[in-house]
Amino acid sequence: MDDETDPAPGSAAEALSIISAQRRVAWQTVPSSALLFLVWGGAWLVGYGALWLSADDRGRPSVAAAVLAVALAVAAVATTIVHSVARTRGIAGDSARQGALYGWAWFVGYLAMGWIISALGAAGASYEVVGLAANSTAALVAGLLYLAGGILWRATAMYVLGAWIALVGAASAFAGLPTSYLWLSLAGGGGMLTAGLVEAVRRRAAP
Amino acid sequence: MTELDPVIHAQARLRVVATLASLAPDDRIAFPRLQKLLDMTAGNLSTHLRRLEEAGYVTITKTHEGRTPATYVQLTGTGRVAFDQYTTTLRAVLGGAS
Repeated sequence: MDDETDPAPGSAAEALSIISAQRRVAWQTVPSSALLFLVWGGAWLVGYGALWLSADDRGRPSVAAAVLAVALAVAAVATTIVHSVARTRGIAGDSARQGALYGWAWFVGYLAMGWIISALGAAGASYEVVGLAANSTAALVAGLLYLAGGILWRATAMYVLGAWIALVGAASAFAGLPTSYLWLSLAGGGGMLTAGLVEAVRRRAAP
Repeated sequence: MTELDPVIHAQARLRVVATLASLAPDDRIAFPRLQKLLDMTAGNLSTHLRRLEEAGYVTITKTHEGRTPATYVQLTGTGRVAFDQYTTTLRAVLGGAS
């Protein structure tokens, strides 16, 4: 209008398309929940799947499978941190604070879970009880934090996923070892992969 | 077109405002990151930001991160309202035209 160097958009439609293009560009400042669900879904599917596949007749997985599961978890944590830090670089304020506190909540949750599992073992719980408690509390922590994330970011898929993971993980304890691993692999990992695909499709379809 | 805010209704400034409006309301963005998102030169972006700041649509905060100076940009409440009004008007124009 009044600027020679910065002309007005040609039409209202053009102005709206500029706005929606910029909104998409601004997504680069937010971690991709689709990507993170897919990474974690893959880690659960393969990690717990390997524990189930390698379990002997008493329900004990092989050392190799346990090492693979831990390595996948470590890789998923690293991916999450690197991706989130890269995406949110240069963004300060409420959402940065929220994101950091949310990240620490996962650390607190799994630290507390580790203590519970160690304490059960120290109190004389059998191998199977410790294993079932580890599987169901791991799912409970993830499920509750997904529920919280769903509330925090008004993300319905994340909230539904959280409810699913918490309940499936808890119910998996009834299945005993090693079947509980299979539940976490297929229903837990599969649920995350589904949520990842739903988010990816939704993002693509967004205006 | 009917009464589109001239401060926003300019291609480059619209891109700046639309990007800032896509951030969460209380978030600010570092100048270099904003520049990268918009793919503008620093001088060009500064000019547009100054104009937006004069209109009261953005606040520019200069701070230090350790020893490095850092500049953050944030859409003000006024800027957000103006942008909402602008998009509402655009939609009305489009709706009326068809």
